[in-house]
Amino acid sequence: MSELSGMPTMSAGFLLIHAKPHRAWAATLSWFLFAAGIAAYLWVAQARHRDNPEDRVTPTVVQMAAGMYNAVTQPAEEDEAAPAASGFYHRVSHSMLWKDTRATSRRFLISLALLFPAVLLGLHMGLFPYAGTFFLRFVLFFDKIVALSLLPILFIAFGIDELSKIMLIVIGVTPTIILDSFNLTRAVPPEQVVKAFTLGAGDFDVAYRVVLKQIAPRVLNSIRLNLKAVMLFLFAGEMIASTDGLAYRIALLRRHMGMDVIIPYVLWVAFLLFLVDLAMRTVNRKLHPWFHEA
Amino acid sequence: MPLIQIEDLFVAYGSPPHAVLAGINLEIEEGEFVCVLGQTGCGKSTLLRLILGSEQPLRGRILVDGREHRQPDRTRGYVPQKYSLFPDKTVLDNITFGPEVGEFGLLARLTPAFYRRRKHLRAQAFEYISRIGLREGDARKYPDQLSGGMQQRVAIAQALMTKPRILLMDEAFSALDPGTRRGMQKLIRELWKATGTTILFVTHNTDEALRLGTRVIVLAKETVDQGSRVALDLTVPAPCADEEIPSLVRRLERVSEACAL
Repeated sequence: MSELSGMPTMSAGFLLIHAKPHRAWAATLSWFLFAAGIAAYLWVAQARHRDNPEDRVTPTVVQMAAGMYNAVTQPAEEDEAAPAASGFYHRVSHSMLWKDTRATSRRFLISLALLFPAVLLGLHMGLFPYAGTFFLRFVLFFDKIVALSLLPILFIAFGIDELSKIMLIVIGVTPTIILDSFNLTRAVPPEQVVKAFTLGAGDFDVAYRVVLKQIAPRVLNSIRLNLKAVMLFLFAGEMIASTDGLAYRIALLRRHMGMDVIIPYVLWVAFLLFLVDLAMRTVNRKLHPWFHEA
Repeated sequence: MPLIQIEDLFVAYGSPPHAVLAGINLEIEEGEFVCVLGQTGCGKSTLLRLILGSEQPLRGRILVDGREHRQPDRTRGYVPQKYSLFPDKTVLDNITFGPEVGEFGLLARLTPAFYRRRKHLRAQAFEYISRIGLREGDARKYPDQLSGGMQQRVAIAQALMTKPRILLMDEAFSALDPGTRRGMQKLIRELWKATGTTILFVTHNTDEALRLGTRVIVLAKETVDQGSRVALDLTVPAPCADEEIPSLVRRLERVSEACAL
């Protein structure tokens, strides 16, 4: 142990496969790139502001804090201004950030809910041979279509309302979830299916009481891994045709070079996704205590 | 009428077809403990799957209690070598799964009758848990928290909870260490005596077959191209005395060697 810092010293073989980082070192190393990134940004921002005090490309921390404070407490440009006497809670609940977060979250949650039928379709395709032969080729083909290339068709077919944005997410992510569920179902050992039948289970008991329960934690993981894809398609839709939402605001502010709000918005979106991911992981652990990730 | 009647069974896989079983004729009476012996690839597990109904023969037929079965059902319990328990269910839920799924449909689980019946089934399951030598505390464990031997004990209890007429065991003790294996052999023999269930036990261990079975069937091929047939059908004196085992082992091994290709 280093007497000065109280931190253990790194052993000579710290780059080798068998190295075992001490907890303190592991924590330090895992935060290092964050700290380095922030430091690099601050250094660049400071240098640019020294050269040009009006620089808008790399806003300072103070500018971003002010921009975010306004986003949290002031309504969007297109909305009416809050009465001067209104309280903090009223201002936050009518703020630009809240309005955009609510709009994006609603679309996001509807899209997530629509993924569950995809899981059930994958399950049935994997278990029931006729369902498999009927859907598999079509889903495989559909999976190869670049969802964003369908965007114009979706806007023509469904208009520029909510439906087209949700359909974009569904078309973009659903085939992956169907195929994942299908493959997970096929990976359940056949002994388990035979065993269930010998215990008196019927076809749907096998599907819902045996196989679905076994694949559920892996399917949840698969949905977790696809969260970013869901968000990507949602952002594409919002940026092109929307009147609210986090991506709409980012696209709008881009026109005004509003980096003091764009950067906090981007970090806010990442934070929200991190929270959703954490929530899904926690729910997965609680619902499936028997499941251990490889 | 025999409980299981196998008539002129022929099974082949692949293209061109490669025979696995050819001309198997067997009759198994209710209450017998039949051990099926044979070398790797001779079709022992295939025979079991055919009796289960999870595979169909190319020719011939299998009658269980006088009728053909096209799908596994609760008349024939099954204990495979691996994946014998549902990993997402506790020991208790694994054991009660059969009666619960048999008596209550997917939505019936929401009715009070289900919970009343479940209480009764759990009491029965606890009886099995003590009978198979597990502690009450093990009831809440998941399969991956149990040793291989404990898992197979639970799998046997799970299969017996539905009171099948036939119990099919496919190399169920093969992955266990010798000590645990002995314990399991004793357990299954006791359960067989107590329940009277007809047992078909596939193994490649001659000693095990003789210690367990009332009858030993050896499957073997005569030539590479032909499928396996019944090379020996031996009734074992029950219980098989320790001193008789070496001579019977030699006899069975002579048959296997004569048929070995």
